[in-house]
This record gives sequence, C-alpha cells and structure tokens, in this order.
Amino acid sequence: MPVNAPTDSDACAYTDYPSGESPEEYPKTGDGATGVEADVWAALAEVEDPEMPVSVVDLGLVYGVEVDEETDHCVVELTLTYSGCPARDMLMNDVRCAAETADGVRDAEVCLRYSPQWTVDMVTERGRENLREFGLSV
Amino acid sequence: MTRDDPSTTVGTAAGTTAECPYCGSENTVRDHPKGPGLCRSMHYCEDCQQPFEKFG
Repeated sequence: MPVNAPTDSDACAYTDYPSGESPEEYPKTGDGATGVEADVWAALAEVEDPEMPVSVVDLGLVYGVEVDEETDHCVVELTLTYSGCPARDMLMNDVRCAAETADGVRDAEVCLRYSPQWTVDMVTERGRENLREFGLSV
Repeated sequence: MTRDDPSTTVGTAAGTTAECPYCGSENTVRDHPKGPGLCRSMHYCEDCQQPFEKFG
C-alpha cells in the first residue's frame, strides 16, 4: 500500500471538506431566472475553475445573481471551496468580467459569501460528470 | 466547531471512502493529504491501480 505521508506532520494547512446536507435551495444554477439575470447566469456558466474543467456554476459556487433594473448594476454572490483559496482574486475577477458581458449589465460587483458553507454536495450532476472525467473523485 | 485535520492523518479518513473516478471501485486508499491544489488530496485505486484526486 503506497502510503508515504508523514504520520506526525503538523505543518499542513487545514483542508477539510465534510460531506453533508447542503441547504435545500443550493446549489443555485439560475434555473427560473429571467431576463438579464438569466443572461448573467449563462455568462457565469462559461467561467471555469482555474484548476479543473468545470464551471463555477456547476461547482455550486454562485450563491446569487441580482440585477438592479434601474441602474443596471449587477451583484453576484460567490463562495469559494475554501476560505484561503489562492485563486480567490482570479475567480472574483473572472466572474465579474463574465457578468459584465451580459446584455443589460452596466457594471458588476462580486461579493464573497461564506455562509452557508460550501460542501461537495453543492456540485451539480453535470459538474460531477466533468470532475470524474478529469480524474477527480466526488 | 472542531473537525479532524485530514492533513495530519494518513490512509482513508474514517467514514470517508473515496470512489475511484475511473472504475468506480471503493477499494482505494488515501495516498497523501495534499494534492496538486490545496483543496485536493491524492488517492490510489487498488483495483485499477490508478492515482486520482478528491476534494478534501
């Protein structure tokens, strides 16, 4: 059995991903969205995680999309798979730029949310298929 | 809230069996708590003898 990890290591970062029930309304995929908000969801579905060939929507990272009809200002609520994610700035920028490509959006901002906590249960079925194909167990 | 720190233990963590993404087998071991990304760990499938990754 190829186990070569140190047994007494204490220098590693905390990276626990408990499985468990995710709140019923998650993951949010934009189903039922209309108008400009539906366009924003479609644009976000094109944003891939920088390390895995799966979109941030299928990972369950998008917690909400709201477009103010008067100002055409878009707010995207985004979470990360863990709070210390080194791709945070990259992902936030990618998501903001994608949201701004939607017709009817003048400018967009991305707000990070850590509640409810992201779990692997929030990965959509399509996301699971993409991840398995990539060689990642979910 | 305290949870086991998976990075300080070896083997498959209690209660969590990783399913091989290639052959579906659950006869797998956690090879290393760190994968190519900070959010992933390395596992090994004893059946199809392939390494794979898992969240966490």
